[in-house]
Amino acid sequence: MAESTTTLARGAVKVRSARRGRLERRRARVALTFVAPIVVLFAVFKAYPFGYAFYLSLTKNKGGVTTFVGADNYSRLIHDPLFRKALSNTFQILLIQMPVQLVLALVIATALNSGLLWLRGVFRTAYFVPIVMGLVAYGVLFSSLLNPQYGAVNDLLGHIGIGPVPWLDDPFWAKVAIAIAMTWHYTGQTAVIYLAQMQSIPKELYEAASVDGAGAFRKFRAVTVPGLRPAIVLSVILSTIGALQLFDEPFVLTNGGPENATETIGLYLYRNGFQFFDFGYASAIGYGLTAIIVLISLIQLVVLERRER
Amino acid sequence: MNYRRTPAWRRAAAVGVATTLALAAASCSSSDGDGQSDEAGGTVTIWSWKGPTQGLQEAAKGYQLAHPEVKIEVTDVGNPAIWTKITTGMAAGGAGLPDVMNIGVDYIGSYIEKFPTGLEDLSAKGAAKLEPDFAPGAWASGTGADGKVYGIPYEVNPAATFYRTDLFQKAGVDIDAIGSWDQLIEAGKTIKAKTGASLFALDKSATTSAANYFQTLMALQDTFYFDEAGKITLDGEKQVKALGLLKKANDLGLVANVSGNDGAQIQTGKVPVATMDGPAWMAGSLPESAPEMKGKWGIRKEIPVETGGSSSAIVGGTYLSMSATSKHKSAAWDFMQYALGTKEGEQALYKGGGLFPGYLPLLEDPSFSAPDAYYGGQNPKQLFASELKAKSAKLNYTSDYAQALKAYDDAQTAVLLRNADPATELQKAAKLVATQTGRELANG
Repeated sequence: MAESTTTLARGAVKVRSARRGRLERRRARVALTFVAPIVVLFAVFKAYPFGYAFYLSLTKNKGGVTTFVGADNYSRLIHDPLFRKALSNTFQILLIQMPVQLVLALVIATALNSGLLWLRGVFRTAYFVPIVMGLVAYGVLFSSLLNPQYGAVNDLLGHIGIGPVPWLDDPFWAKVAIAIAMTWHYTGQTAVIYLAQMQSIPKELYEAASVDGAGAFRKFRAVTVPGLRPAIVLSVILSTIGALQLFDEPFVLTNGGPENATETIGLYLYRNGFQFFDFGYASAIGYGLTAIIVLISLIQLVVLERRER
Repeated sequence: MNYRRTPAWRRAAAVGVATTLALAAASCSSSDGDGQSDEAGGTVTIWSWKGPTQGLQEAAKGYQLAHPEVKIEVTDVGNPAIWTKITTGMAAGGAGLPDVMNIGVDYIGSYIEKFPTGLEDLSAKGAAKLEPDFAPGAWASGTGADGKVYGIPYEVNPAATFYRTDLFQKAGVDIDAIGSWDQLIEAGKTIKAKTGASLFALDKSATTSAANYFQTLMALQDTFYFDEAGKITLDGEKQVKALGLLKKANDLGLVANVSGNDGAQIQTGKVPVATMDGPAWMAGSLPESAPEMKGKWGIRKEIPVETGGSSSAIVGGTYLSMSATSKHKSAAWDFMQYALGTKEGEQALYKGGGLFPGYLPLLEDPSFSAPDAYYGGQNPKQLFASELKAKSAKLNYTSDYAQALKAYDDAQTAVLLRNADPATELQKAAKLVATQTGRELANG
């Protein structure tokens, strides 16, 4: 009796599992057909260009004839003083601008999160709006603001006895101008990410800290910042990748000048591809940049993981 | 109750396929879908930008009166966006390109060389019969190294020196008595002292390309970035002389620093500058951009680099070319012949766009040149026409002009802002262009 029950049960399991198998196969088919458009789009617009660009980076085009040149473009890249210059400019801007932007975003997010602030909605919108502003409008705005002779910024500085600052004519100040423009453009976005994370930090933690006698600054350091950790990691990685691909700001403000002081890797790639028509070399620059981004992202992940432990 | 349901995966598949097809269709819709290859009639599409678009639209009106079966569609793609769009289209084997493209002299050499099958060979269509009607210097740059014609001149730009009559008068300097750049710089000192105005303006940090003065000074000496064999001459003696003159004026404090987008500040006199080097189209656009300055701008032939030197320089121009993948070649060629090869068409182009033509029958027509009240009764068109006839030297832009231009811009910035030595910087620039392009140095 007991035996037959188990047999029956076994049979039922078999039937059920066969049915489940059919169901799963059908489900898999449904899932596959739903992801198909994205897979096709990825293959056509991402995978194919990646592959083709790699092929291009191994070729040279002279007089309309494409020849295979092996690693020539890559060895040219390693010895190219302009590529090195662009790389160093990019890192200088990255190392100076990113910390400023992140700290500023943290301050703004804290202010926006505070119950003391009036018209919070208005401020939140005001800080976020720059990110949706178009490249051209943004470029025209900043180049007229920073114009060394009749720009509003130098005019204001003049009233307090500073300047005139050669914003776009001096290698150092041109980098500063780019950094200011980037900070204005992206800080609001980072602040909104921080703000969202801040609002998910449990109130109890702050209450407990108050009970333990922590002041406002101590609460910020011991509760807010650790609570923001995931958002900070995210914004560091995103800003790093963004800065390494920096193109818009130098393109509209300085055209990479003066004397390549604000030439970035993105701009140099564009120049070689679309101004010099040297697609082979431009592709090699693209792969060089990819290698650098992968390397830096790996280092960041390893370092941050280790800290996590 | 018995009803059949389409299985879920099939419905999903249908959605997926439909999406993919829609996307594919969307990506193809830019090419002409009528499937007829090269038939008379239909729609001829043209890409151009701002001013030249207006000229082409005017010519299209005239053409369509006689050919109602053809529709000419001119699109203002914008400059410099047009170069990126054409490059991308050419790299994609001609996909998405219009039938006819307006191409600058600085780009046409590159397109001919880098995309040998991109542009239609117009010689095979009988372009040669148009050649005698055009200024020789303008015609040559539309011809490839293979001797085939790929572009017919649309606008041609001899350059001239525009000057502020009021400032020269105030300073008591007679511009017509100036016969060399050294004399010009001397005059600049007087003007600066008496009026406070700069002699000329440059975009010293090269926020946009800032080589216009250098290129004029080279053209006046019949030289360029490359020689006729395509070797790099950027570090030549005449080139060093040209950049040296710019440095000399700059060191004396005679050069205003104006970013490339601020030309209007000079034209309207907001930034007082005594002279302005300008291509022929400037003579047409100045009365529009600075109407309040009527009578305050004069125009004269270029100032020779050295006493007795040439005072004519052709500094640019544009062409109409046909894409090899055009589906309306006969209609497109018919329109090009009307617009560029007849007096009526050229007149319409000029009326609409105000751009200086390279078409001799129009230049020689007495009705074309007339005194211009804006320039105090001077005759700019006559001046440009005489320059065009005097100058026939072809400037060799090659396919690597963009590299040379960028390298020069950096050299000029170093010289003007960092007080670097012109010869050293130009040598550095020439070597850089050599490694970038694999071209030989002419002086190397």
